[in-house]
Amino acid sequence: MAPHIQDMPPEGGYQKIIFERIPAKSYFGGYAMIAGYLGITAGACYLFYLNKRKVTREEIEARSAKIAIHPLLLAERDREFLKQLRRNRDEEEKLMANVDGWEVGTYKGEPIYKTIPKDKFIDPMYNEYYAHSSYWDWAKRAHLKFWT
Amino acid sequence: MSLIPFFRNPITDLTGSLVSRQHFEKCGEFEMRMLQCLEAYGMDRGKQKCADLIEDFNECQTKWKQVLRVDAMRIERNRQVNQGERSKDQMYAEAPTQDSF
Repeated sequence: MAPHIQDMPPEGGYQKIIFERIPAKSYFGGYAMIAGYLGITAGACYLFYLNKRKVTREEIEARSAKIAIHPLLLAERDREFLKQLRRNRDEEEKLMANVDGWEVGTYKGEPIYKTIPKDKFIDPMYNEYYAHSSYWDWAKRAHLKFWT
Repeated sequence: MSLIPFFRNPITDLTGSLVSRQHFEKCGEFEMRMLQCLEAYGMDRGKQKCADLIEDFNECQTKWKQVLRVDAMRIERNRQVNQGERSKDQMYAEAPTQDSF
């Protein structure tokens, strides 16, 4: 049986236990902190001003471009609208060629409006504009336009 | 038959003008021409004399002839496909571009 060995403290005793409060090292006082805050805020405000000026300028430029191009887009839309009316007319002519008594642009030979001049433009309704396309094309556009 | 020439009082005079197409609407011109014609001929003769104008105004409001036209074209298209005059691939024309209406 081995002899008992008692654990003893190291030579010279244990280290001192530190229990006093050790305050963190302070770099700035209160006044310096407030001054720094104000200084940094002033610098940031200047940077914000520069940025804001740039953003505003770019917004104005984009808006000007949009306004400049708007008549062009409208004109393109109207042009495409009129071209599509012509395509519809040709398609109707081809489709109803064998139907007796059918005249293009009328309902069985009966004009849509009787009292307006012949060359006056008649605004077609949506269904008539899409009369020659499939239901899915019709629905796509109808939902795009009327539901959103 | 309209009620107005036979039954008239200040309330009908006040409210008769409230509902109209004259507020920058599409059918305003048709309505104005029809009413001027009816005013000139009166109720009974106006019905015969202004028949076309009345019909045009009704068409402008209801688009009934345009609807019938679309229906007739759809029926004819379906008939052609059913009887084999038109192939199923070519049943419909190409759709208009979406932003054109």
